[in-house]
Amino acid sequence: MPTPVVMPQMGESIAEGTIVRWIKKVGENVERDEPLFEISTDKVDAEIPSPVAGVLTDIKVKEGETVAVNSVVAEIGQANEVREARAAEAGAGGPGPAAPKKQQPDGQSTSAPTPADKTVAAVAAEQPSDNGRRRSSPLVRRIAKEHNVDVAQIAGSGIGGRVTKHDILGYIERGGERGPQVRTPGVGEPGKAEPARAARSAQVRPTGADRIEKLSVMRKKIADHMVLSKRTSAHVHSVFHVNFSTIEKLRQQKRAEYEQAGVKLTYMAFIARVVVEALHRHPILNASIDGDNIVYKKDINLGIAVALEDGLIVPVIRNADEKNVLGLSRAIVDVAERARTKRLNPDEVHGGTFTITNPGQFGAQFGMPIINQPQVAILGVGTIEKRPVVIDDAIGIRTMAYLTLGYDHRLVDGAVADEFMADVKQHLECFDANDC
Amino acid sequence: MATSYDVVIIGAGTGGYVAAIRCAQLGMRVAVVEKQKALGGTCLIWGCIPTKALLEHAHALKVIRDAKEWGVTVPAATPVVDMNQVHARKDRIVNGLTRGVEFLFKKNKIDWIKGRARLAGNGKVEVTDGDRQTLDAKEIIIATGSSARSVPGIEIDRRRIITSDDAIGLKEIPKSLLIMGSGAVGVEFASIYRRFGSEVTIIELLPRLVPFEDEAISAELEKSFRRQGIKSLTATKVTRASAGANDVEIEAHTPDGKSQKLTAELLLVATGRGPVTGGLGAEELGVQMERGYIKVDELYRTSVPNVSAIGDVITLGDTPHPQLAHVSSAEGILVAERLAGQEVRPINYNHVPNCTYCDPEIGSVGLTEAKARQRGYDVRVGSFPYGVLGRAKMAGETEGFVKIVADKKYDEILGVHMIGPRSTELVAEAVLALRLECTVEELVKTIHAHPTFSEAIGEAAHATHGAAIHL
Repeated sequence: MPTPVVMPQMGESIAEGTIVRWIKKVGENVERDEPLFEISTDKVDAEIPSPVAGVLTDIKVKEGETVAVNSVVAEIGQANEVREARAAEAGAGGPGPAAPKKQQPDGQSTSAPTPADKTVAAVAAEQPSDNGRRRSSPLVRRIAKEHNVDVAQIAGSGIGGRVTKHDILGYIERGGERGPQVRTPGVGEPGKAEPARAARSAQVRPTGADRIEKLSVMRKKIADHMVLSKRTSAHVHSVFHVNFSTIEKLRQQKRAEYEQAGVKLTYMAFIARVVVEALHRHPILNASIDGDNIVYKKDINLGIAVALEDGLIVPVIRNADEKNVLGLSRAIVDVAERARTKRLNPDEVHGGTFTITNPGQFGAQFGMPIINQPQVAILGVGTIEKRPVVIDDAIGIRTMAYLTLGYDHRLVDGAVADEFMADVKQHLECFDANDC
Repeated sequence: MATSYDVVIIGAGTGGYVAAIRCAQLGMRVAVVEKQKALGGTCLIWGCIPTKALLEHAHALKVIRDAKEWGVTVPAATPVVDMNQVHARKDRIVNGLTRGVEFLFKKNKIDWIKGRARLAGNGKVEVTDGDRQTLDAKEIIIATGSSARSVPGIEIDRRRIITSDDAIGLKEIPKSLLIMGSGAVGVEFASIYRRFGSEVTIIELLPRLVPFEDEAISAELEKSFRRQGIKSLTATKVTRASAGANDVEIEAHTPDGKSQKLTAELLLVATGRGPVTGGLGAEELGVQMERGYIKVDELYRTSVPNVSAIGDVITLGDTPHPQLAHVSSAEGILVAERLAGQEVRPINYNHVPNCTYCDPEIGSVGLTEAKARQRGYDVRVGSFPYGVLGRAKMAGETEGFVKIVADKKYDEILGVHMIGPRSTELVAEAVLALRLECTVEELVKTIHAHPTFSEAIGEAAHATHGAAIHL
């Protein structure tokens, strides 16, 4: 009897997953815990290991298809149980296990809209309601979708402030529409539901010479998420110039000690440590807005932005305030490594309360990061390098970096944000060696 | 009895009495002046209630005539109608309802002042005959309604040439009946008296019966009338009518340009209703009028401060104003709430249901297919016949259909038109759909119970999106 392989439940809030790539082909041997296929869910991409050793005898869900969790996607059994018909079909799409990750499977570029696209479209359609719910009607929601309009932006004249057809048509007529419209999908053609609006703002007219590639699931989600954030928060940025000389000295002193513990001591661990402490003193930056309420988060769950080959993910270090520099160093290296190798658990990419991103690693002096919703602030770390600075009327050389705080002015005023940053700056510049 | 009120309402029809109750509920002191001997107005006394009571009698007769089909043994060879019993039952219903309104007045402490009202200016209402007095009102609501109206050249004698007021009380079933006008009143009496055994001919000036309904509805009704033996002369003009001792003769111009003489026992003039403003003194007070109707704005304010008007007596100017009981009530409630200082919103007349109780009955709301096209919508329609439904077969009522008119672009439901069994009830779902700005897709996804007539609505929605399931 072959063993069924199911779409795993990758977190409590996740109901379905999209198979992005089959790493094994039908007929191939697979070891227990060897990566079998790659999935993409709402939250994360992951490689799914085989539950048993055997031969992949049947692939039931093709690349690009989305199925509910616990649906059977494949079977593993004996070599003589291989189903030839499906084998041929599945073999066409899947590059071998050695192929670079995230490469678009051939199958996707030729296939028409896939169920995966529908999933994304559905998510996108629901999003305006996250951001200020407003009563409307089925008709209004359809018009809104077609015209790329956020219903929450429209004043409703109906009972209980309900946005009526009249309201939305008036709004569009007055120029409320966001950007030019892409092709309008015909009514009653669900397969052609409009894809994520974020990624499609201005009309593009590709010429024959241009290369067209489908947006990856991750890319669409990033696009949606970023536009949603820009639309939700009143972004303001504050830049501080911070002297890292003390920390640089400590890093040199402790390097050997940490290497013995198997950990590379990075600037990021110091910054994370100082930030979580400062968040304790400035809880408004570790909060969210929920309707008319401020939600002060009990836990400090620190998101660390990790760049991937064709995207970006923000794994979360839970209860980061309970970790010392060593613990944070380990945690950061661990999640970054697992993010790059797609071994993150979906529960590890949500629930963050504050995020640190590091544009400096690519040489940026400073960045202007977009807040990771529903958080209210994000810290961007610029490149850390030796710079000439004025010290007591003399010019000296110090290890310096620009830190940028992006914050949501709906909740956080400039003075509050700058107090927080001054706190962070002070504790970085006078980092207590005993804390390390 | 005090003579000073927050609100004095003139007329106790469905507009006036409902406005009175709502005003009282909202804490106002209210008086209603009514010249008739009972409360309830046209709807309760001469209109909706008595006609529909007669229609139920006609329906009962139909079922009894089909007794064999139902497996019921009826002693008499040919069941006949006893008009005395019919009127007794009908009057019992009408009296019960008008007394119900009296009870509601007492419950809400509304003063019913019997007599004719005249606007005397400065918030004064003079009651002539009956309980003569002068009332002081902070606010006045005119709800005097309408009455049957003839056309030039045809004089109502209430003997041979009658209106609906007389048609509800005929002691004997006429052998033959001519009906001028095929609006709700005309086609309803055609159904009643045809079922009772009269030879009925219905004459319509416009090219089709029920000319304000969707064309498909008109065609279906004409077909059904033909089957039932009701003659329809459309695009035909009655130029003359003369009453004799035992009959009435009319001259009609048919569309082929010929003149035709028709004779019958009675001529029912059902060409429309006009406003009742005689003796009211509205014009003298400076209330702006239009073609005899009182002109009001979208919140039913007349041109004179503190004087509002609702119901059949008003005109909104450009917007056609339907003379329907439920519309008057809605307007009455709106005015009461406005006077109480509540936030009110104008009524959308595209969302008013039209119910015609002919056989087969008609329920409709919103735009007809032709109107939708006129307004520039990219229209698509879908319809579904009742006859396919199990429920319709069981009831032995398999005529008619449900038709949905929708906008292709946004899938908006623009209108729903039904003819056939229970259509006047089923239209309620369509009214809600329009009110809530439903898309056809929402209607498709709405589960309709089986076996019911309402399945036709779900199926018509499917049909609008391509294909009905059971067709």
